[in-house]
Amino acid sequence: MAAPPRHVSMLSISNSNTGAPQSASSDKPQTPQPSPSPQPTSGLRVPSNRKTIYDRHLNRSRNAELSRASFAYLFAEMVTYAQRRVTGIQDLEKRLNEQGYPLGLRLLDLLFYRSTSTSSSALSSSSTSSSPPNRPLRILPLLHLIHGPLWRLLFQRSADALEHSVSPDTPNEYMITDNDPLVNTYISVPREMNMLNCAAFIAGIIEGVCDGCGFEAKVSAHNQPTEMWPSRTVFLLRFGDSVMEREKVLERNGVK
Amino acid sequence: MTSPGDGTPVKPPPSFSPGVARNASKSRYPDEHDATVSLDAELAETRTGSSPTSSLPATTAELAIRSASPQSRSGRSSTPQLARSSIGSPLDGRFDGSEDIRSLIIRAFSPTVAVHASEDTDELVRNKGFKGGFSELIRPFGETVPGKVVIRDSIGSSRAWEDYGVRFVNLKGFGEAHAGRDPGRDSSLAQMEEVLEKQLDSGENSLGGPISSKDVLGLPATTPLCKLFLRQLLSTTPAAPHETFGHPVASVISISSRNTAPLETLRQLYAESSTGDRRLPDWVQQEYLRYYVLVHDEERDDIAESTRLYDQMKRHFGLHCHLLRLRSSQCVVTDDDSTQVPSCEWLSPREHLSGVGEAQTLVDLGTDGTPYLFDSDVTAIKSFIRELIVQSVIPFMENRVAVWNDQVASRRRGISGRFMSMSRRWAGFGSSSRSGIGSSGGNSGNYDSTQNFYSPDSPEAILRKMADFAFMLRDWKLAASTYDMIRSDFGNDKAWKYHAGAHEMCAVSMLLNPLAMSAKIKLESVDQMFETACYSYLTRCSDAPHALRSLTLAVELLKSRGGSATESAARWAMRVMDFGLVESIGQILFMERVAACYASKTPATGAKWGARRRKAGMWSILAADQWLKAGKPSLASSCLEEAERLYAVVLEADGVFPMPEMQAFVDNLRHAVKVEYLEARGFDAPDKTPTEEDPIGTEETSEKLDKRSHRRSLIGLPATLDAGNLNMSPGARNPEDPPNDDFERA
Amino acid sequence: MSYYFTILSPTDTPIFNIAFGTSKGGGDGIARFRFPDTAQYMNQFIIHSSLDIVEEAQWTNGGMYLKHVDTYPPAAAYISAFLTPSGARFLLLHQPPQLPSSGSTSTLGASSLLGAAGSTTRASSSSVAANPTSPQTEEAVRQFMNEVYESYVKTAMSPFYKQGMEIRSPVFRSKITAAGKKWL
Repeated sequence: MAAPPRHVSMLSISNSNTGAPQSASSDKPQTPQPSPSPQPTSGLRVPSNRKTIYDRHLNRSRNAELSRASFAYLFAEMVTYAQRRVTGIQDLEKRLNEQGYPLGLRLLDLLFYRSTSTSSSALSSSSTSSSPPNRPLRILPLLHLIHGPLWRLLFQRSADALEHSVSPDTPNEYMITDNDPLVNTYISVPREMNMLNCAAFIAGIIEGVCDGCGFEAKVSAHNQPTEMWPSRTVFLLRFGDSVMEREKVLERNGVK
Repeated sequence: MTSPGDGTPVKPPPSFSPGVARNASKSRYPDEHDATVSLDAELAETRTGSSPTSSLPATTAELAIRSASPQSRSGRSSTPQLARSSIGSPLDGRFDGSEDIRSLIIRAFSPTVAVHASEDTDELVRNKGFKGGFSELIRPFGETVPGKVVIRDSIGSSRAWEDYGVRFVNLKGFGEAHAGRDPGRDSSLAQMEEVLEKQLDSGENSLGGPISSKDVLGLPATTPLCKLFLRQLLSTTPAAPHETFGHPVASVISISSRNTAPLETLRQLYAESSTGDRRLPDWVQQEYLRYYVLVHDEERDDIAESTRLYDQMKRHFGLHCHLLRLRSSQCVVTDDDSTQVPSCEWLSPREHLSGVGEAQTLVDLGTDGTPYLFDSDVTAIKSFIRELIVQSVIPFMENRVAVWNDQVASRRRGISGRFMSMSRRWAGFGSSSRSGIGSSGGNSGNYDSTQNFYSPDSPEAILRKMADFAFMLRDWKLAASTYDMIRSDFGNDKAWKYHAGAHEMCAVSMLLNPLAMSAKIKLESVDQMFETACYSYLTRCSDAPHALRSLTLAVELLKSRGGSATESAARWAMRVMDFGLVESIGQILFMERVAACYASKTPATGAKWGARRRKAGMWSILAADQWLKAGKPSLASSCLEEAERLYAVVLEADGVFPMPEMQAFVDNLRHAVKVEYLEARGFDAPDKTPTEEDPIGTEETSEKLDKRSHRRSLIGLPATLDAGNLNMSPGARNPEDPPNDDFERA
Repeated sequence: MSYYFTILSPTDTPIFNIAFGTSKGGGDGIARFRFPDTAQYMNQFIIHSSLDIVEEAQWTNGGMYLKHVDTYPPAAAYISAFLTPSGARFLLLHQPPQLPSSGSTSTLGASSLLGAAGSTTRASSSSVAANPTSPQTEEAVRQFMNEVYESYVKTAMSPFYKQGMEIRSPVFRSKITAAGKKWL
């Protein structure tokens, strides 16, 4: 693409759109759920090198290493931020969870995108070789997705354990264990807050992933230290009734 | 059919019925899940107790609809079970929609009984006020035989039918009807359209009412107009060579006690019908049952004389005789024991248009238009018909089926089974030993390709007749297997109409066979058969009425099957529209049928998916649009209401569509319907009715909360799980809301 | 071939719409729907109604690309669907061009209509490019969907985008247009 002044290029783009009779630009004003974004549409700022996010490859940062120090700093700031004006530990955990949730939704898409395009380096190449992974339809595949690929994407290793509740009263409870969660590595919780587990942030991510896949769930993080793993954390996933019911239907229908 | 009873001057069209009722229902039952079960049961009780539809107060009906909708989707384990168990329950009101149609279709294929009356009989009956003579007198009574009729099927098990009937046709009219058939090819369809139009114009007001009656499950009931259409369609087809439904199974030969030479007249009538000028066309088998009736004039003649004559008849003609005692004077409504003659259910479009069986014929006689009979006459006719059917016609047919099954069919399907179909070229069957020269075509040589029919005694024709008999005796299993056996033969002979007919009826009888319900695999083959039938009828024979009939049967029967068959049904309905087999009103009717087909598909047990609510809603909207264009705002309005009901489950908020242009279209349509409706009622259309806007507005907000929870698991919204998350993920819904960082303000 | 492409959020809200025509075989990329006067809303109705099928397929087929899921025979409209793992649905309505032989027969007699209707199905299945259910078409749509998916993921990664928000970026639009040109 040549490099005309940005406004000109914008105009040309929108012109080509309105050429089509169905252009969405005409129906924007009457959208039933009006979603006027804070900034006006025309105010898009194109970076000076003309590289928008759409021009960057999503796998670019795939193997990029992040400094632990900077992560620790960032996360510490997040916890501090969340801690303001909270009423208690539960409230704080809830806020951390909320911060993780949208991340989970996004990671889900990214995770699938990356696993789709692993073998075929770019989308343009014929991708007969790689069949994209399936969306999880049942609980177990979903849990494996979280336990394996998601954990690897986040922490470059799998989670340490995956368990199903043995109690017949709570068949909807599953547990994922991380012996040494990264987020807690540099955090020492004050004694008076010893119930707090900052991995609630991770729990939020898991919740986002579950919800994104259509599995309504509540996820919480709990401290379960052992001799060997003082910061061992268990993530408890409780799936909603509708999920369990669907699970039965799918099992009857033989869906894996 | 549709009683133009409601004289209410301005009933608001259903779709703008005041929102008060709805709101009330909501506030009264805030927890819909728990409410639905008990509510449903309650409602069912009231239904069984009271009369089916009309007596329900409007609010209750509304309630049922509203509360039924979420349950179909929410998939709580209790609700589907409720729905299923109720199938077996004696709540006939609930499923009467499809059962009704089934029964209608079954009754459409009733045996035909020709009536051949002597001049003096007709004369006697004409005195009673029936211009059409004896056949007109007994015809309405034949359509439903009083009491149960027990029929034995081929394997010897009996079944009693409440709704059995026969069609009486005048033998005189038989040949004429056939002669007038060819120009009637297109016109019979056009006539049907005309009838519908007439019905619409006359019944505009009365039709609006019944449409809003729905069964409890919330499935749309079949509209009366649609039933009229179906009945019209099924009585359109005149007797044709390729199917024997219109061929007489029996013939009633009647004389009256006024006759001076009774036995000679009977002989002469018989001769006329078998060799004389009343002989049926060559393609009709002549060996049908003859039934002799002596009509005794109670007022003028001596019963002793008639009894003696009757005994004589029995000696000469055997057991198939009856003595029918009628009064010869005309009955008027003021007479003490007068009974109204039922109107004919099965009138062809032509008869509808010419007003046969309706009031007009009798107007000149000075009565109030409806024919009346004395009680004693009605009783006599009814018992005569019952005796005719139960003691003569049914046994005769059972016997024929058994004989043919034994002599023709079993040979065909016997040891050599399939081999036979090949070897029959050399062997030939029974009487017709004209064996074809075994060429590759596999032509049996029994088909007369110049006149386009099989001679009635060829094995093909006999098998077809046997299958038709079995069908009319409601032994669909035997019928299906027989049609199945012969359908390819017709193709080999290039007898395309026979080919189409056998495929059509094979599929129909398979669908009617209640035992084959479980056999899911058959569905594709049924579809395939309809496809073949339709192709043969339309492309090879240009026979639009038959094509329309087979496709309509396909739609209705597949729909009544439920499950995935309903989608097939909808597809066939669309094909009908695509082929242009029906004209404007018919097109709209079929749109409604498509909607009904989709609406009747219920979600899989426990699952939240599998219904076709959106599709049904879309078709209802389209139908509403078309009704409006056709200038029928009240019908449009009931379609709209139907659409709203269907969409209620799938939309986030009532009447709010996610897509902008859909929304605009629906809004315009609603407005236009309202305006036209009010105009049609002679009111100035108010620009806006604030009473309507308000409840809807409040409804939106109240709906939004609980509707969302239904969708949650399917789409993965965090929704109400966590108040904070509600803002995070569906962020675009309310972007004006401040982002979730209220703690920042600290 | 004319196309109408919609992205629906998990709550069925349309977040992106575009109509375009084929650019293959000398096409000019302009959508010409069969019933231009009703296409505006009908396309949306058809797409919306196909959600019934998509919801069903969603739980039986774990793939992201669900292929051709639905048909609306009266307008010969075919719907292909793609589901992102996070629940957004990409729905592509494609409609083969109307053949001249079958034009304007809707009011004629039944027999002539049958011929026309028959020829519609026959003819369209013979020419690969115009056949919406051929493997070639499926593959082309899949490629298109994958490319849209890439752009969608990039959009979703943006911190300023929240799931369910309408996508208004002109760059996104041009990306979709380009993908349409390239594959369809």
